[in-house]
Amino acid sequence: MNQADVSKLVSQLRIKVNPRLRRFSNPNGPAGRLDKLRKTVTGLIKHERIELNYPRADEARMYAERLISDAIRYGDCHRTTMEMADFWIIEKQLIHKLFKVLVPRFQDCNTSYTRLYKVPSPYPIIYKREDCYRKAVLELRGNPYPSLLPDKQYNKNIIHNILLEEAKKEYRMQKYAEVVANTEEKGKCQTDSPDEKLETSSDISSKPESNKDEHTT
Amino acid sequence: MFSSSRKKIISTSLKGFRCNSQTAEALQVTNRLASNKTKPSQLKFSRIYPEFLPDPKIEFRNPLREIIERMDMLNRRRNVHIPEFYVGSILSVTYSDKHNPEKLNCFVGICIKREGCGLRANFILRNIIDSQGIEILFDIYDPTIQRIDVLKLEKRLDDELLYLRDALPEYSTFDINMEAEVLPEGSEIPINPIKVKLKPRPWLERWERKNLKGVQDLELPEKFYKRAAELADTTSQYDLMKQYMKTIPVEEQYQIFSEIESELNQLEIAQKKQKRKKSFVKPVKLA
Repeated sequence: MNQADVSKLVSQLRIKVNPRLRRFSNPNGPAGRLDKLRKTVTGLIKHERIELNYPRADEARMYAERLISDAIRYGDCHRTTMEMADFWIIEKQLIHKLFKVLVPRFQDCNTSYTRLYKVPSPYPIIYKREDCYRKAVLELRGNPYPSLLPDKQYNKNIIHNILLEEAKKEYRMQKYAEVVANTEEKGKCQTDSPDEKLETSSDISSKPESNKDEHTT
Repeated sequence: MFSSSRKKIISTSLKGFRCNSQTAEALQVTNRLASNKTKPSQLKFSRIYPEFLPDPKIEFRNPLREIIERMDMLNRRRNVHIPEFYVGSILSVTYSDKHNPEKLNCFVGICIKREGCGLRANFILRNIIDSQGIEILFDIYDPTIQRIDVLKLEKRLDDELLYLRDALPEYSTFDINMEAEVLPEGSEIPINPIKVKLKPRPWLERWERKNLKGVQDLELPEKFYKRAAELADTTSQYDLMKQYMKTIPVEEQYQIFSEIESELNQLEIAQKKQKRKKSFVKPVKLA
């Protein structure tokens, strides 16, 4: 039985929020947990792309998103937001980056400000818990590095790809016609030999197969 | 497009700020964003009617149930006027007794806690009657409630006044036949800066650890304050996600209240009309 706390207004996050926060058991308690996450968030803002263990990346992502969304919502003249930025960013010169670089970059953004990729774990893989020892890459959107995702530019519906497909088909049809013409010529030359008949039949049987291949590709 | 609409939302939400330590900051932000906006007024409701917002705990969320509950709440509000009140306001609740259907009970007291959302929203009234502390927990949408009157609309320095249980009785004693104080329309809700004096220990809770604002010096030995300082939670104010999980995002609040805004406004207008009728007394013809 709770009532929503309406004293602080927050923007909706555009990422999936875990129902429970990870505890990251730590000798220093909750302060130590925040300290860990603080380092990650600072690193993310500094380098824009970092590779780390999955649980911490997932957790730090939510905090980074909150920090940026607050910076966008309230700006740098809001005391609480500035205190938060001061706490979450260890290297203080990066506070300027948050308000002067990231806020303008994400101001009109309709999606999340960060991306999280699961990446292969280093060999040998030790499965201790479900997502422990899994690696992840956490990055800010609009970073200067080349994309991590494979290039999916190829699209069969683009006009030049359609034209190329048609050209290929035409070429194949031409080839088949040539083959048929050749076999017919050979058949006329040597009508009596039984070997030729076998050859022609094999040619005919090969045609539909090749047609099938074309369709599948 | 997106940013402009967001600014609108911010501006309204800041309009909803009535009082707390953030007011000054809020004003700063409004001034900063004052250039381009028109103010939709949905978000002022989230302070007046916080129970319309769903439970922030994600396990308890159920969108369909929330919609149906909101409809039920509005239906109840059409039958009984449930006024705006806050923790610290003095209310009088008239409710029928299920064991004695013809009898009406009336209880006057200070609201010391307000909790829950949806149809399960409730508040606790406290008063001292015949030198006996009495507290009654009312469900706001309880059908046995006949009438709720706000006798004094104000806030206190704290969000919960449970410490009144350990305070001297004069701080939670209120006259049953109290006259209602009417605030002029459009005025801000006043904050009562009263500081309560607590009885000496033993208490129901360790109040020195609760960081209370509305309490006089507790007069405890030094070791109590030391221990309180040791246990004080200095980090959770920076835990952005904890804050996020305790509240409902502005976009969602905006959506909820834009659905029911017109209904709530109609109810308010109907109530004002009724009030005027009541206050109008037909002049008596003199001889």
